[in-house]
Amino acid sequence: MNCELLKGFRMLDLSDDKGALCGKIFADLGADVIKVEPPGGAPTRRIAPFLDDKPGADTGLYFLAYEAGKRSVTLNLESAEGRDLFADLVRRSDFVLESFAVGYLDSLGVGYEALTHKNPRLIYTAITPFGDTGPGKDYKAADIVSWAAGGAMYLMGEPGKPPLQMSLPQAGLHAGAEAAVASLMAHYPREIEGVGQRVMVNMQACVVWTLMNEQAMPILHGDYLKRSGVFVGGLDVQRKMVFRCRDGYISILIIGGPAAPSTVALVNWMAEIGFAADWMKSKDWRGWTPGILMKATEQDRIEVAEFEDRVQAFFLTMDKQHIYTEGLKRRILLAPVATVADVAVDEQLAARKYFVTVEHDTLGRALKFPGAIAKLSQTPIGAPRRAPRLGEHNREVYGDLLGLSAERIAHLAEIGAI
Amino acid sequence: MRRYALEGVHVLDFAWVGVGPITTKYLADNGADVIRIESAARIDVLRLGPPWKDAQPGINNSQFFASYNSSKKSVALDLSNPKARSLVQRLVPWADVVTESFTPKAMRNWGLDYEHLRELKPDVVMLSTCLQGQTGPNALYPGFGQLMAALCGFYHISGYDADSAPSPPYGAYTDFIAPRFAAALLLAALDYRRRSGRGQYIDMAQYEAALHFMAPAVIDYFATGRVQGREGNRSQNYAPHGAYRCRDEDGNERWMAIAVADDVEWRGLLSVFGDPVCDKRFATMAGRLENRKALDEFISTQVRDRVAAELTHQLQAAGVSAYPVQNCVDIHHDDNLAAFDFWHWLEHKQMGASPYEGLQHRLSRTPGELRTPAPILGEHSDEVLGGMLGLSAEEIAQLKQERVIF
Repeated sequence: MNCELLKGFRMLDLSDDKGALCGKIFADLGADVIKVEPPGGAPTRRIAPFLDDKPGADTGLYFLAYEAGKRSVTLNLESAEGRDLFADLVRRSDFVLESFAVGYLDSLGVGYEALTHKNPRLIYTAITPFGDTGPGKDYKAADIVSWAAGGAMYLMGEPGKPPLQMSLPQAGLHAGAEAAVASLMAHYPREIEGVGQRVMVNMQACVVWTLMNEQAMPILHGDYLKRSGVFVGGLDVQRKMVFRCRDGYISILIIGGPAAPSTVALVNWMAEIGFAADWMKSKDWRGWTPGILMKATEQDRIEVAEFEDRVQAFFLTMDKQHIYTEGLKRRILLAPVATVADVAVDEQLAARKYFVTVEHDTLGRALKFPGAIAKLSQTPIGAPRRAPRLGEHNREVYGDLLGLSAERIAHLAEIGAI
Repeated sequence: MRRYALEGVHVLDFAWVGVGPITTKYLADNGADVIRIESAARIDVLRLGPPWKDAQPGINNSQFFASYNSSKKSVALDLSNPKARSLVQRLVPWADVVTESFTPKAMRNWGLDYEHLRELKPDVVMLSTCLQGQTGPNALYPGFGQLMAALCGFYHISGYDADSAPSPPYGAYTDFIAPRFAAALLLAALDYRRRSGRGQYIDMAQYEAALHFMAPAVIDYFATGRVQGREGNRSQNYAPHGAYRCRDEDGNERWMAIAVADDVEWRGLLSVFGDPVCDKRFATMAGRLENRKALDEFISTQVRDRVAAELTHQLQAAGVSAYPVQNCVDIHHDDNLAAFDFWHWLEHKQMGASPYEGLQHRLSRTPGELRTPAPILGEHSDEVLGGMLGLSAEEIAQLKQERVIF
C-alpha cells in the first residue's frame, strides 16, 4: 500500500547519485516521482557494482536501491521539443529535483527562473557540490571528493596510510536526504501561501554536518584530531573504540560519568570469568572520564591501557553474537561490528518485520530491501515498487498525464525528443 | 507572506543528545517555536560534552550542545516530580509536534507517551526516536550513535581491506543520518495534518533509518550472499580514485582526493601533469581499473610535490573532480563554505561569541537561519511557565524552591 503522506504530489527527479535518495524518500512517502532520464538513461543506471556482477541498465545495486518507487520517462533536454515537453511536465508537477552542473538547466532555458513562470507553485531543488556562488561553484565532486572537502575523510584511516572513504559512498546520500528535508521545508509554506521557491543543497556542508563535536575543537580547544584507526583521541589519551573478538570485532564505549553503570556491568562480567583486575572491581567509575571531561593523568593512562588490554583478552574468548547478547542483557554500551550478513539475521529487525520483499519482473526474481524508514500510525510506509525500466512510463506519463496521442509520442521518439 | 517556512508551528521537544535535537533544530531554525523540556535531574549529556568555551567544562559551556540547539527555548524541570509533569501536560495542547528520544519506557513511565498526549491534543504529531525502535526484544538497548554505526555495518565497510581492522568514521555517525529522515517525516506529517486534521505517532528506530545508507549492500547480500567488505578507496566506477599525498604544509601531511570518471577526464588530468609518459594500459577506464595499484603509484608520484590548493584549481579547470582532504581547521577557512555563508558566530549568554555550523541548504524565499544561540539550561522557564501557563512570580518562585523547576 502506498503511503498517504505525500499522495497527490508529483516530483520530477533529474538527479544523479547526489540526489537519488531524495526522490526515493518522496516515493516512500507516497509522492508520484518521475525519473526524467536522458535517452541514454540516468547516470545512476551505470553505477557499479551490479547484481551478480552482470552490468546492465536494470541491475545496478545503487540503481535498484535508490530509484525504487519511481516511474521513468525518457526526455532529451538538449532538443527543443524535449524542453517543451519538460515545461509541460513541470506545469503538472510540484517539485523538480536536479543535480546538474550549476547553471546547466539555465543555459538550456529550463532553469528555475523559466520554470517558475510556468508554475509559480514549483519547488525547484538543486543539489550542488559547493554551492552556487563560491569559487568552486563549477567544481565537480565525485562522492570521495565531497567526503574530503567536508572534513570526514581526514578523520578516517590509520596514520601512515591514506585517509579513507567508506566502501559504500555516503556523501551523496547525505545530500539526497538533506534535499528531502529542504524540499519539504519549502512545501509547508507553499501549501499555505501557494508560492514555491528555489532550494539549494550544499553537499560539502552536508558532510561537515557529520563531524559531530569535532568542528569547533580547533577554535575552542586549540587542537584537532587526526586519523587514528581504531582509536579516538581525547585529551592526552587515545581510547580504543574497536576490539577483536573470536570471529570479528566489537565496538565498546568504556567510559565513566553518566555511563558508569555500563562500565560497572562490564567489570562485573569480566570478574565472573577472571578477567578483571582488583583495582577495576573497587574503583568508583562515576568519576572516571579520562580524556573526555578532563585531561588524562598519568594514572588515567595506565588504567586505560590495562583496562583495554584486559577487555581485548576477554573478548578474544568469545564470538561477537554472544558478546552482543550478553551486552544487551547486562546493559553494556557495546555493539558488534556487524556485517550485512549479521544485519540480515538480526532478531530486533526481524521482530519488527523490517525487511520488505520487492518483486522484480525485470530480473525474474524478488529482492529484499531495507523497510520503512519509520513506523507511522496514520500513514504507514509500505514496500516500494521496483525501479523502473528506462522509459517504462513514457506512454503513461506523456499519454495519460499530458494527453499526447500515440502518434505524437511516436513522433517525439522519432525525432529524438524522448 | 511569511518570513520563515514554519512560522506558527509549535514544538514541545523532550529530545536529548543527538538525533532528536538535530531534528528539531531544522524546525527551530526555520521559524517554529521549539521549547525544549530539559530534565534538570538527567541533564542532556551533550551539555557536558566537549568542546567547551575556553576548554572549561560546564553545563552552559558546551559547543557540542549549542550546535544542535540554536533557535530553541529551554525550560528546566525535574520530570521525576509529578508536579513538573502536570506543568508539562498543560503545555501539550499548545504543541503541534512533540518529540522525544529516550529509551522507550521513559515517556510511558512519566505518563507522557502518545496515548496520554493525544488525550490532551488529539491531532498532535509525535516523534519518538531511539536506537532500535519502540518495540521488539532490543527496544531498550542503551547506547550512542557510535555503537549504532557499528551495528548497522558502517564500521565493517570502513578500512583498507579484510585483513586490517576497521577504521571507523568519526563519532556517532548514525546521529547525522537519522535526523534527515526524521525531519522530512515531521514536515510531511505536519502538512498531512494541515490537510486532513489527523495527527499521528512516528516510531523511528535510528537503526532502521540509517540502514537506508547501506541499502545496496543489504539488497546484494539477500540476493547473492555477497558481504560488502572494506575496500580502502578502491572504486569500480572511478580510476584513479583515492587520496594522494601532496607537498607537506607547515610540517603537516597534506592529502587530496582525486576521482576520474572517464577517459576525457583522464586526459584532462594528464594535461595538468604536463602529459607525462605513462603506462599504456592507463589509456582506458578498463585498463586503469585493472591496474589500480600501478595507477595509484603513478598518481602519487605526480602529486607528491604539488601544492594541494593549486592542484585543485588546475585539475578542476581541466574537468577533474578533486579537492584537498580538509581537517577541522581547514573547513573554517574554506572559500566555498565562506561563500555559502556557512559559519556563524553567535553571542551565547555564557559562552560569548561561539562558532556554529550553519544550514546545509538554502531556501530562496523563506530562508532559515540560526535565529538565536542555544539556550542556557532553564533560560526560558519563567517566560514559558509565566507567559504561557500564567503562573505568577510567586508560584514560580515556590516551584523553584521545591526544585520542581529550575
